Amino acid sequence: MIFWQKDKADSFFKNILVFLAMLGPGIITGSVDNDAGGITTYSVAAATYGYPILWTMLPSFIALLVVQEMNMRMGACTGKGLADLIRENFGIKVTFWIFLGLLVADIGNTATEFAGVAGSMDIFGISKYVSVPLTAVAVWILVTKGNYKISERIFLLFSVCLLSYVVSAIAAKPDWHQVGLAFVHPQIQYDKNYLIMVLGIVGTTIAPWMQFYMQSAVIEKGTTMDDYKLALADVVIGCIATVAVAIFIMVACAATLHVNHVTINEAKDAALALKPFAGALASSIFAFGLFVASIFSATILPLATAFYICEAFGFNAGIDKRVEEAPQFYTLFAAILIIACVIILIPNAPLIAITLWTQDINAMLLPVVLISMQLMVNNPEIMGEHVNNKLQNAVGWSTTIILIVLTVLLMVLPAFDLFKAH
Amino acid sequence: MKLFLYFSQTIGLDILDSKGQWVARLHDIAMNPYSDIYPKASELIMRRGSYRREYAKVSWEDIVYIEDEIRLKIPAEQINFSKEIPKCDFTLRRDIFDQQVVDIDDQRVVRVNDIQLLRAENQLYAAHVDVGLRAIFRRLGWMGMVDLIVFCFNSKSPYLTHEDLIHWKATQILPKLGRMKSVLKLDVSKSKLNSIPPAALADIIQDLDIFARVTVFKSMDAVLQNRVFTDMTLSYKEELIDQLTEDEVAQLITNIPADEATDLLMKLPREKTHHLMGLLGTETNKKLRKLLSFAKDSAGGLMTTEYLYLKADATAADGIKKIKDNINFPGTIFFLYIIDDNHKYLGTTSLRRFFNEDPQTLLINTCYPENIHVSTDASVEEVALLLERHKSSSIPVLNAQDILQGIITIDDVLEELITLAWHQYKEKL
Repeated sequence: MIFWQKDKADSFFKNILVFLAMLGPGIITGSVDNDAGGITTYSVAAATYGYPILWTMLPSFIALLVVQEMNMRMGACTGKGLADLIRENFGIKVTFWIFLGLLVADIGNTATEFAGVAGSMDIFGISKYVSVPLTAVAVWILVTKGNYKISERIFLLFSVCLLSYVVSAIAAKPDWHQVGLAFVHPQIQYDKNYLIMVLGIVGTTIAPWMQFYMQSAVIEKGTTMDDYKLALADVVIGCIATVAVAIFIMVACAATLHVNHVTINEAKDAALALKPFAGALASSIFAFGLFVASIFSATILPLATAFYICEAFGFNAGIDKRVEEAPQFYTLFAAILIIACVIILIPNAPLIAITLWTQDINAMLLPVVLISMQLMVNNPEIMGEHVNNKLQNAVGWSTTIILIVLTVLLMVLPAFDLFKAH
Repeated sequence: MKLFLYFSQTIGLDILDSKGQWVARLHDIAMNPYSDIYPKASELIMRRGSYRREYAKVSWEDIVYIEDEIRLKIPAEQINFSKEIPKCDFTLRRDIFDQQVVDIDDQRVVRVNDIQLLRAENQLYAAHVDVGLRAIFRRLGWMGMVDLIVFCFNSKSPYLTHEDLIHWKATQILPKLGRMKSVLKLDVSKSKLNSIPPAALADIIQDLDIFARVTVFKSMDAVLQNRVFTDMTLSYKEELIDQLTEDEVAQLITNIPADEATDLLMKLPREKTHHLMGLLGTETNKKLRKLLSFAKDSAGGLMTTEYLYLKADATAADGIKKIKDNINFPGTIFFLYIIDDNHKYLGTTSLRRFFNEDPQTLLINTCYPENIHVSTDASVEEVALLLERHKSSSIPVLNAQDILQGIITIDDVLEELITLAWHQYKEKL
């Protein structure tokens, strides 16, 4: 009797363990996705347009799910990273330009993360000339000297911190009826700024580097097609978590800033502006969440970028290698970190321009990466029997095409403005 | 005429027919891997059109020359284009270019940036693969510029003087995508991998993606498989057996040293361990079941049940015969353990101690004078201290009734201590 019970408890526990072990790539990717850039975009959008802009989270969710599922399937099917697959199937020239774009965009992205660190620490009265270099050093130590245990704890802390936005949102006492209404009856405006904002939201949710990260994480887990169902569950949960956190950020800002007609330009402004409406605690929690999200992404981004580039060009890479063993890897990692740091520390640096440029490069890169993915995921020589089915293709291609159209619009619209001005 | 040319520079060359008319561009070169030491070009694959591409292949015999352009002996009408890329066993662009290969000399996995072709009597051979940075710039078309910049900074830079070429003989091609049946039979040059020591080979295959890992592993013979598997890291072992059939796993577990097999079984989920145990032969099953019952870091968990033993009445001649009979024994053969009829431990002797004795000498009289042994619940540290104090490389493990349970060899202790030391080192950081 006792043995039987023990066995049962054991197997239930084991099922959870197996699930937790598989659980990972999707959720981690989703969490990294809500970085400083994401938080900024979500809070600015919600402060400007209020609850009605919440509907954008639905298409973002679908696009995110479709793209991540493809990444997971490609990783599980081939056992290779996206960088590897692009190099092996499209040759060195395509690879080179994609990765040059990715490098530049990720330097910009990392700079945005450091801007998040600077902004959030500013709220606590710490100058950026102190907080940014200290963060960079901390990141370097964590990566070169850290071990798995510490990283894991830091990650757990980070996940908990994302819940802080739920607290902020509830403290803001939102009108839940209106929140629900925004999803059921989406109200869409047809002007340029609105369109840019929508694209910004979708674009920040699906960043090009994420696809590379997701696929590497899947391989790291040793996922194969036998584990497809568990891996799919992880992707779905990860996407839901990402979008849920984004919704809470938006709700917090919509309930306080939009209702009181406060417009903001940065995530830091959102934290500051929350104070009079939702209390000092909500404001501090928001700032702290921003700080942790920034520092986490500032670690992952340069590391991941250095890793893919080395992977694609056949250099040794990985934090388990010593500096002499993987010089290119560490040089790239240090370079991204230092350049991003310096950009933020330049007095009167045009931060908003840098953010916009980074978003533009991301937006240009995304269609290239998505088209490469679509071509590979439909190639039976790569995927065997696991090529996209008709439904997956329909959703995949329409996501790709809509994103491309929106991106082109975003690039073309400012040009129209120029014409009007003259 | 240059002796060597790079494959990247031949891609896209214009192909002219016997009348000098443009036909297509070079797309790929098919090779005959069985021909010589170096694979010889057997066919060329060409393409035309940009939106709707069409491909065709031409046998190497139909080529007049290959220079800045390729001239054919046949007229364009004899070439049949189709939408599909013609099927070939082994082609440079599909199977090697941009792919990962194993560098046998340096024992590492590398990515091919270019292929150096050797031209001899109008034949092309694949001579080297280029894995250098310079090959990347060559393919981007920036080699001249980058060379000049590097030259200005340091005219003797290794970037300019040293070429990262791997000889074809030292290049092991990998199955392109593991989950597909590889067109190229891996065993063509299996012997190349066989020349790498098992420990290095274990490192190499851990660097490959999971599917290539399985294919390469399956291409090895059983003896090599056992040795490579033994040398792999535990988590990779776990991943690998997920991809093997039950029979293959049972075979592996039976043939690797019992203590390694125990370590693996302990790491697996319990249901899986149960299932695997059911597949093993009774002997192995009994042996492993016993080992599995001990705590992992105790002497019982460290020990192996693979040791040579003889009864108390055995002579030096019996001892030598025992060793000769067990020359392929997976455990140590230099020590013999003397036991009574109840398997009670009496003493340890070594080859060195009885080798030169009179064949009639009883082995029990050649045993070590100091009787060192540990109990099954002794800790790693205890075992290590005893081994060090007696300058010994193995130690018998006894239960409370002095019955011999197994032996611990120094490599198992080292493995455990290195892990411990590594953890402490990491904690300190």
